[in-house]
Amino acid sequence: MLSLRIAVRFLRKSPAQSILIAAGIAVGIGVQVFLGSLITSLQTSLVEQTIGNSPQVIVQATKDGAALDYTAALQEAMKGEPQITTVVPTRSFSAIFKKGAESAPLQLIGGGLAQLDTIYDISGRLTSGTAQLGAQQVMVGKDFADTYGLKAGDTASFVLPDGKPAELAVSGVFDFGSAAANSSTAFVDGDYAAGVLGLGADQYTAVDSQVSDVFGSTTVAESLRSQPALSGLKVTEWQAENADLLSALQSQSSSSYMIQFFVLVAVALGIASTLAISAVQKTRQIGILKAMGMKDRQSGRIFLWQAVILGVSGAAVGVAAGLVLIALFTFLGRDSTSLFPITPQVGFVVISFVVGVLVAMVSSLIPSRRTSKLDPIEVIQGG
Amino acid sequence: MAEVLLHAEDLGKTYGAVAKTVALAGVSFDLHGGEFASIIGQSGSGKSTLLNLIGLLDTPTTGRVVLNGRDTASANRKQRAALRNDFIGFVFQFHYLLPEFSVLENVLMPGRIAGVSATDLRPRAEEVLALLGLEGLESKGANDLSGGQKQRVAIARALMNRPALVLADEPTGNLDTANTAAVYQLFRELNRELGTAFMIVTHDRSVAQQTDRILEIQDGMLLQDVRNSFVETGPAAEMELAAQPAPSV
Repeated sequence: MLSLRIAVRFLRKSPAQSILIAAGIAVGIGVQVFLGSLITSLQTSLVEQTIGNSPQVIVQATKDGAALDYTAALQEAMKGEPQITTVVPTRSFSAIFKKGAESAPLQLIGGGLAQLDTIYDISGRLTSGTAQLGAQQVMVGKDFADTYGLKAGDTASFVLPDGKPAELAVSGVFDFGSAAANSSTAFVDGDYAAGVLGLGADQYTAVDSQVSDVFGSTTVAESLRSQPALSGLKVTEWQAENADLLSALQSQSSSSYMIQFFVLVAVALGIASTLAISAVQKTRQIGILKAMGMKDRQSGRIFLWQAVILGVSGAAVGVAAGLVLIALFTFLGRDSTSLFPITPQVGFVVISFVVGVLVAMVSSLIPSRRTSKLDPIEVIQGG
Repeated sequence: MAEVLLHAEDLGKTYGAVAKTVALAGVSFDLHGGEFASIIGQSGSGKSTLLNLIGLLDTPTTGRVVLNGRDTASANRKQRAALRNDFIGFVFQFHYLLPEFSVLENVLMPGRIAGVSATDLRPRAEEVLALLGLEGLESKGANDLSGGQKQRVAIARALMNRPALVLADEPTGNLDTANTAAVYQLFRELNRELGTAFMIVTHDRSVAQQTDRILEIQDGMLLQDVRNSFVETGPAAEMELAAQPAPSV
């Protein structure tokens, strides 16, 4: 490996220049690793916040508000979908909250607390009171409770869909981390909701579910629609209902890719120009090596090896720097609720490393080509 | 006489596509194994061009070079590189040592280019370094040597692959008188001891007269090709021209 040996010597002869090129690659790959992980984690965080604690695939009667029979066949069909992680039949209705002259609409979701927790994690998000849903109890959101001065143990007055009044005891207050969700949603006992809606034991207004891969919801919904047990029923999924969010996520991804692409282009141009200068600086050495019989390809490989060495070392430092930045970001945001955790993806880090090395190698093509084409006579005649 | 090592036939070199400059024209001669010859001529006469052509560093516009029986006219760049590595050692006016490498590594380089490991080459490198009186300097950097030492390392490097022919282009141009005399004495010893053929380009007639044969180039043409016994013993008028008549200039 004479070419490799010569490449190492050339690099060692100009340490400052070599370190500068490697640093350029390191900065590029560091930005790549940090920015890529940041965007991925931000998106995961956004998706988690938006739909992590809400149903992702919902089965309902075709007619709005109508009841569906939660038959054994339907249960089997839902359980048969490998991507579905939890299935919760619910009974929902709208009611008007009344307090003196004030009133507010509220969506009441009825179900067993243990089952509701598998999607909404109400017990885990309790800020006051106790996690329980008895026959005459309601759990309300923090913002709703704050607006109307409600606290655990208070009685809340409602007007039910049929116009009848109802008094429910506030058993607990939860915080979903979203003012909109906290102000518009409350939970009641499933049997109580059945009574309000006049539903039988196996009748519900919706069957809510969550899936293992949130972006796989479309496939799951399509699969469910094709099942005979769901004929006459409506299957909706979160992606169809949140087109704006998806579009925003996609735009964010695109802009992130653009930034990463241009960072890599800048890195490639930097390496290419510095290696080209290095090739000019080493013209005399290459010329004499060729006069002694070094072949064109062998001499061209010298700069390819230089690029590989610089690429591997620069990308390795870059990956390390990116991971340190991520750790720093996570450390600084450990007490903050507005920052989200950045999780570096192993696959992405590996790809970034490989991309760094490849960019360096591609950048060496011009100096390598120039070197392999160099005629020894150019050097000998030039003195 | 030894076999023909190098056969130059009607060698010519013209530079430029539109405004043509003839650097060399119609030069033919044979060089036998173990010969100690010089090419003499004034600056710009074409002597270095001739050396570059026979050293396969440059390609002729006309004519051909046959090296060790192999017609190089049809050889590609890779084959020419291999021929240079196998048969020719170069010594230039400037030493052209690689500053990134030590003395030993510089001397090993032609062997390394040929694909031989440094370990296998080491004894030969030490032998050549000893021959040139460079013992003890093996690990020194190429830039840590005096001018004379650098040129001796360059000569050691040229001898590394046991070339049949050493081409030297003004090899003492950058050396003082003492070092110049030492280098030519060394060339002569190497020629006698190793049987290596030498072809030395010089503009200095006194240097040329120390060789066995003088090829004189003038205005790109071979003016005369003279054997040494006459050079040493008789006046210029008695010089015996080689088989080829000198062209009119």
